[in-house]
Amino acid sequence: MRFKSITSRIISLHVIAIGFTSICMPLALYWLLSSTATDLQHRALRDHADTIARYLKTTPDGTWTLQLPAGLQELYSEAYGRYGYAVLDGQGAVLFSSLDNRAPIFPADSRAAQPAFLQTRLGNSVIDGASIPEQVGGRSFWIQVAQDLEHRDVLIDDIVADFFPRVGWITIPILLLLLVIDIVIFRRALFPVWQASKTAQTIGPTRTEVRLPTEAMPREILPLVRAVNEALDRLEQGFRIQREFTADAAHELRTPLTVLRTRVDTLENPMVREALRDDIAGMSRIVSQMLDIAELESFVVDPEEKADLHNVCAEVAAFIAPLALAQGKTIALTGTRGPVWIKGNPETLFRAIRNLAENAINHTPEGTLVEIDVAENGIVRVLDDGPGIPESEREVIFRRFWRRDRRRSGSAGLGLSIVSRIVEAHAGSISVENRAEGGAAFSLRFARAA
Amino acid sequence: MRLLVIEDNLELAELLRKGLNSAGFVADVVNTAGDARTALATTRFAAVVLDLGLPDGDGLSVLRDLRERKDTTPVLVLTARSGVRERVTGLRSGADDYLVKPFAFEELVARIQALLRRPGDLLGQALNVGNVAFDTEARQVFVDQQPQFFSAREMAVLEILMRRSGRVVAKKLVEDHLFGLSSDGGSNAVEVYIHRLRRQLADAGAQVQIHTIRGVGYLIAEGKEP
Repeated sequence: MRFKSITSRIISLHVIAIGFTSICMPLALYWLLSSTATDLQHRALRDHADTIARYLKTTPDGTWTLQLPAGLQELYSEAYGRYGYAVLDGQGAVLFSSLDNRAPIFPADSRAAQPAFLQTRLGNSVIDGASIPEQVGGRSFWIQVAQDLEHRDVLIDDIVADFFPRVGWITIPILLLLLVIDIVIFRRALFPVWQASKTAQTIGPTRTEVRLPTEAMPREILPLVRAVNEALDRLEQGFRIQREFTADAAHELRTPLTVLRTRVDTLENPMVREALRDDIAGMSRIVSQMLDIAELESFVVDPEEKADLHNVCAEVAAFIAPLALAQGKTIALTGTRGPVWIKGNPETLFRAIRNLAENAINHTPEGTLVEIDVAENGIVRVLDDGPGIPESEREVIFRRFWRRDRRRSGSAGLGLSIVSRIVEAHAGSISVENRAEGGAAFSLRFARAA
Repeated sequence: MRLLVIEDNLELAELLRKGLNSAGFVADVVNTAGDARTALATTRFAAVVLDLGLPDGDGLSVLRDLRERKDTTPVLVLTARSGVRERVTGLRSGADDYLVKPFAFEELVARIQALLRRPGDLLGQALNVGNVAFDTEARQVFVDQQPQFFSAREMAVLEILMRRSGRVVAKKLVEDHLFGLSSDGGSNAVEVYIHRLRRQLADAGAQVQIHTIRGVGYLIAEGKEP
């Protein structure tokens, strides 16, 4: 199984670890407890043997007596039935026994030099006990002490037996709590990363100055963040060089044109002067369009930006009107009258619609009307009464440097490709068709701003 | 009238100097941002013509320095950049006007003249379009030197059109000018005044035309009789 999230990866490993621990830890504790309990029991058995040995006395005639106090006798009595003892001499003969028939408790006792812990069955009971070597008056005895395991009145045994149902389960909630704490810790540790990714989302070609925050960033992730920021530095540099290039190119191209234009303005011969002015105007237009193309190459609409399409079209109509009137044509703005807000950059939209309107004015006969129609749904149409666009040319007219009449100078065939690039940058669409009554109709569709 | 021309292209600088001199100005020419700062610190100019692309620094920084010193000398910016953001930046930095290269020399002279009379001067000037003259001080309109009589509202409409002759005046602007921002003079009130103006001017033999740019506004221009 593969996890995409570092948190879920760590947490799943923790769940496995905690599951393992919650089984092993109670088992280990149980084992420790029961071995401690066994030790305690063994010690208790040894204490019993020591006590019995203390009451083992030799008489002047060389025989041995065992004078247990009344309290102890009761404890070992068969009636009470919990404890028993037997004292064996070096030959294995039973000298004293708590059993009535003076029998050994553990008949199979091997009488080792070290205390031996033994178990035997006596009737229905399991008898647990020990054979302890004792030295009394220079003689060796083996004192067998026993305890009936069926009668659990021993505290230690109870604790061990109750460990699972009473105590063992508490480890599980503790481990679960640890898991929750883990999750919280990871969330907190990864918070700066989450913040950085929020910041990264705002970075775009229009916002190259944004950098990811490095403060509070975990040291393990810091190298990645730094590397990303350095990559952004290089990208910004690239964008800047591109922008500087267009600015420098504009300066280098337009300044000589200005010199030329100013010189021509001072010429005496009005015929030559006007002809040269027209040439310079054509040249200037081509330079402007080239620079537009270069600038639009890296142009991206700021997602925050909004434009009032109606206002942009009104500005275009006002801008084109003097030119149209000078050529004996008119321009009108029709359609909706209120603002039409779309997502977009007003300056480039102005250029796009201006190019379409200029084209229409330049390609239509005198006395005709060019109409800019704005619809509330974000569609702008530029309608003219010219010859229209033949079906076969409706694709190619948007290509760079396409011209129907290549003999005409002063036009590089860039106008419509600029329009189409601007529309593309706005995620809009452009189409052209011929009107039923003749003339071309260019339609631009844009997304309305919320 | 002393002007400072800041232009790094020597040829263009010289042409501008000659042209402005023959247009009646005294033009000092510098070629670098450094020289421009020195000149502006020591001399008072009536107006400054500033090219933005300079070899030793951005022209805009010269402009910003000037404005930081609270110097209100009118500045006309010449720029080769016509990019999306540059125009806005230029005007925000305190330029009074700008011209994109290449420009017609008459246009430059007209813009400088406009800058020079912009502040203070309460527009005691005559507006001329074709054979129509409008004396804004005496509130009198002449066609071929013959005084004509118009109502105050008609004069107001004619004045705003003649002040922007050759350019479109938004219908909304005319309405605001006539009735103030708040009141609504009725949607076709302006059209009525325009209609009357057209008829009266035509009757008086005026060589001007008031064009209606449908959906946008009006434009007055020199023109043959309708």
